[in-house]
Amino acid sequence: MSAPITLTSSDGVEITVERAVAERSILIKNMLEDLGDSGEAIPIPNARLPRVLTTWQVNEAVLKKVIEWCEHHKNDPPTAGDDDDNRRKTTDIDEWDQKFMQVDQEMLFEIILAANYLDIKALLDVGCKTVANMIKGKSPEEIRKTFNIQNDFTPEEEDQIRRENEWAEE
Amino acid sequence: MEQNTQASSGSQDFVDTLLSAGRGESNADVKRAQSDETNEMKDTQRPDDASDTLLQLARQNVEPFLTKYHPRQYAPFRSQDGTPEIPRTVNAGYCYRHQPDSKCRRQADEQSMRQLQTELDTLPQSDQQGIAHVWSLFSAAPAKQRKLMLQGILAQCCFPQLSFISASVRELIRIDFLTALPPELSFKILRYLDTASLCRAAQVSHRWRALADDDVVWHRMCEQHIRRKCAKCGWGLPLLDRKRLRESKREIELRATNWGNESSKPLGDGAPNGTCSDVEITVNGKRKIDTDDQSCAMIKRHCKSPAYKPDPNDDYFKTRYRPWKDVYRDRFVVGMNWKHRRCSVKVFRGHTDSVMCLQFEDNILMTGSYDSTVKIWDMESGEELRTLRGHTTGVRCLQFDDTKLITGSLDRSIRVWNWRTGECLSKYNGHSEAVIALHFDATLLASASVDRTVKIWNFKDKSTFILPHPEGVNAVKIDTASRTVLTACDDGAARLWDLDTKQCLRVFHNHIGAVQQVIPLPREIELESHLDDCENDHTSLKDGDTVINALSPLLESKSLSVQPSSFGSSFDQDQDRQEPPRYIITSGVDATIRLWETNTGRCLRTFFGHLEGIWALSGDTLRIASGGMDRMVKIWDPRVPTCQDTYEGHSAAVNCIGLSDSRFITGGDDYHVRMYDFRA
Repeated sequence: MSAPITLTSSDGVEITVERAVAERSILIKNMLEDLGDSGEAIPIPNARLPRVLTTWQVNEAVLKKVIEWCEHHKNDPPTAGDDDDNRRKTTDIDEWDQKFMQVDQEMLFEIILAANYLDIKALLDVGCKTVANMIKGKSPEEIRKTFNIQNDFTPEEEDQIRRENEWAEE
Repeated sequence: MEQNTQASSGSQDFVDTLLSAGRGESNADVKRAQSDETNEMKDTQRPDDASDTLLQLARQNVEPFLTKYHPRQYAPFRSQDGTPEIPRTVNAGYCYRHQPDSKCRRQADEQSMRQLQTELDTLPQSDQQGIAHVWSLFSAAPAKQRKLMLQGILAQCCFPQLSFISASVRELIRIDFLTALPPELSFKILRYLDTASLCRAAQVSHRWRALADDDVVWHRMCEQHIRRKCAKCGWGLPLLDRKRLRESKREIELRATNWGNESSKPLGDGAPNGTCSDVEITVNGKRKIDTDDQSCAMIKRHCKSPAYKPDPNDDYFKTRYRPWKDVYRDRFVVGMNWKHRRCSVKVFRGHTDSVMCLQFEDNILMTGSYDSTVKIWDMESGEELRTLRGHTTGVRCLQFDDTKLITGSLDRSIRVWNWRTGECLSKYNGHSEAVIALHFDATLLASASVDRTVKIWNFKDKSTFILPHPEGVNAVKIDTASRTVLTACDDGAARLWDLDTKQCLRVFHNHIGAVQQVIPLPREIELESHLDDCENDHTSLKDGDTVINALSPLLESKSLSVQPSSFGSSFDQDQDRQEPPRYIITSGVDATIRLWETNTGRCLRTFFGHLEGIWALSGDTLRIASGGMDRMVKIWDPRVPTCQDTYEGHSAAVNCIGLSDSRFITGGDDYHVRMYDFRA
C-alpha cells in the first residue's frame, strides 16, 4: 500500500512522491482510495509501475512547491474541522511556513488555487493567511498599491465610504 | 518619405504589440498589419533599399513563426481611443490562466508603455525594426515557446541585467487576489482580518467593498464575539443577536459558496436602515438540528429543497434584517465606549434614604431603599413611574420579572407585588430577623436573613425548608440548571448547597470577615487560557467543622470509571441536571473580590483595589462590576488580575449595582441612583 505515487503536472512533468506525502491532498487520497477499491483499474503488481495521477490544474513549478510543503508536513496530525479556525482567528503562521510563503504574488496565487483544488486545507489556510497579512494594517491606498488595484470610486463615493467605516478607526 | 511613414506606423505597432504582450495575448492586428506590409513590399519590389535586406532577412525567419502561431480565431475590435477590447474567443495558445477572458490578466500600464515608445524613437530605424521583431515573435508565441525564449534571454543576462529584471518583476507581479480568486476563497482571506483592516478593505474598490461588507464576513465576525471577549474590542453580542446568528449560520455558508450567482447581491449602497439582505431566506432542509431553538419550528415551515432559489423580489421570503456589519458596528462602538470610558451619566433622585437594591430590564428600573419604598423608573426619560409602599422599614432586596415583584425588608417580611398595578399581592413572615437577600426562579424562592437561615420556598407545592448557617446570611443565588444554591455568610464563607439533598456541597473559605455577595459567572465564560498565573492555593475543603459533605463525594467518585461529577453521583445520573456553574465570584468586607472554581473549591484569583468593604457585585461574560464603602465603582475583567477602570460619583457608599452589556446602574448611601450608559 505504501507504493510511491507519480503525479503529473498540467504541463506534463511527472513527479514521484511517497504516498503519505501525496495523501496530504484529500483529493488525491480519495482518488487513491477509489482506485484501490476497483482493483483492476490499475494493475500494479509489486508496485513496479507506480500509479500516475494527473493534477490537471497545477503546473510543474507549483506542483513542486506544493509537494515541498506536503513533504514538510507529512507527519502533521489530521486537521480539525472548520469550527476550529473559527475559534482561533489568529493570522500567526509558523516559521517554516512563513519562509515557504516568501514567494511572488503569482506563485502565492497559484499555491492557493492548487491547495483549494487538491483539497489541502492546512496549506490553503496558510496561503489565505499570508494574503490577509498583506492586507492587514494598510490604508486603502496602500492596499491598492500592493495589489495593483484601480480605485473605481468617484471622489464623492470614496468620501462617503470612508465616513461609513470611520467607526472602526480608534 | 514613404518609408518614414511606414516606420512611424511600425513603431506605433511596437507599442500595441507590447500592450498585448503584457496581457499575455497576441494582437492579431499587429501581425495582420505586418503581413500586409510584407505583401505590399513583395508587390512593389524595392530591393535597392539597403536596410531592407536586413529587414527581409529577418522576415524570412520571423514570418513563418508568426504565421504558424497567428491567432486565427478572433479578430479584435478596437474602440476609438485605441484601447483594444477584450476578445471573446478563447485561444488555445494561451497560458491557462491568461485566457483573454480570464479575470487576472495584467493591466497594461499606459505610462510605462509611453516611456518605452520615447526611448524606442531615439534608436535608428533598423534597430527599431529588430527590436520589434523580437517583441512580435514573443508576442505571437504560445506559453511553452515563450518560456523557452525567456530562459534563453535569462541565460544571456549579466548580473546587472538580472538585477534589473528582478526589481522590475517584483513591481509587475501584483495580483488583485480578492477579484481573481473564487469568492469563497476571497471570503476565507477576509475572515482572517481584524475589524479595522476589513473596514479599510471595503474602501479599496467596488469589488472589494462588495466582498468586505458582505454578511458572510460579518456574520463570522459576530460569531467570534459570542461567549468570549475579543481582546481588542472587548464586547459580546446580546442574546437576541446570538440567536439570530445561530439560526442563520447555514444560510451564510450557502451564501459564501453561491456568492456572485444570482441569489446574492452586494449589500446596498449604504442606506442606513433600509438595507436588506436576502441571507435569511434560503432555509436549507438539511439544517442542523438545534434543540434549544424554539424558533426552529417556525422556520421549518418555510423549508424548501436545498436547490431552491428564492425569487429576490418575493416579499414572502424577504426578511428585513439589518446587515451583520451594522450589528457588529453597534456592539463594537459600545465595547470601545467601555474601553475609553465614554458614557453618559443619569442620576435618578427621589429616595429619601439609602438605596439598597436595584434591578433593571429593558427600560424599567426598580430600586429599593431604607426609606421603605420601592420606586419604579423609566430609564430613558428618568421619570419616576410608581412608588410602592407597604414595608414598614427599609427594603433590602428585590427581584422582578414580567408579572411580579418580590421584595425583602428589614421588617422581616417578604412581599409579592403586581408591579404593573402597584398592588401588594401577599406578604410572608418566614424569618425571625431582617431579610437581606432573595432570589427566585420559576418554581423556587430563596431568601437569606440575619436569622442565620436561608429559606427555600416552593411556589408550586407551597413547601419550604431551611438551610442553616452559622451566622447571618448576606446573599443567595439559585442555580436552576444544577438545582443548587449559593450563599454568602457573615462567618467568612460562601457555600454551595444541593437543593435535592439539602446538603452543603462546597465551602469557599478564604475571605477575612463577612462575605457580602456571591454570584455565579455564566457557564459559557471561557477562563481556562487566562488563568495560568493564578494563585494555586487555599483549598477550602479543610475547614472541618463547616464542611458537611464536601469530601465524601470526592472519595466516592474514585470508584466510578468515567469522569464522575465531583459533586456527587446525582449530577451524573440525572440527565436534566447540569453541573453547578464552574466559576463563582464573591466579595467581602475585606475589600477583596475572589474568583473560585467550584469543582475543586480553589480560590483562583483575588482582585485587590477597593479600599473598604465591597457591598455590591455583578458580573457577566465580559466584566465584573463592584461597588462599596469607598464610594467607588470598579470594573474588572475576570481574565486579568488588575482593575480595568474606576468610576466615582456617589458621595457615600455604593450599596448595589446592576450590570448589562451596555450600562451599569448603582444605588448609594447618598440616596441617589446613577446610571452609566455606554451606548453610542
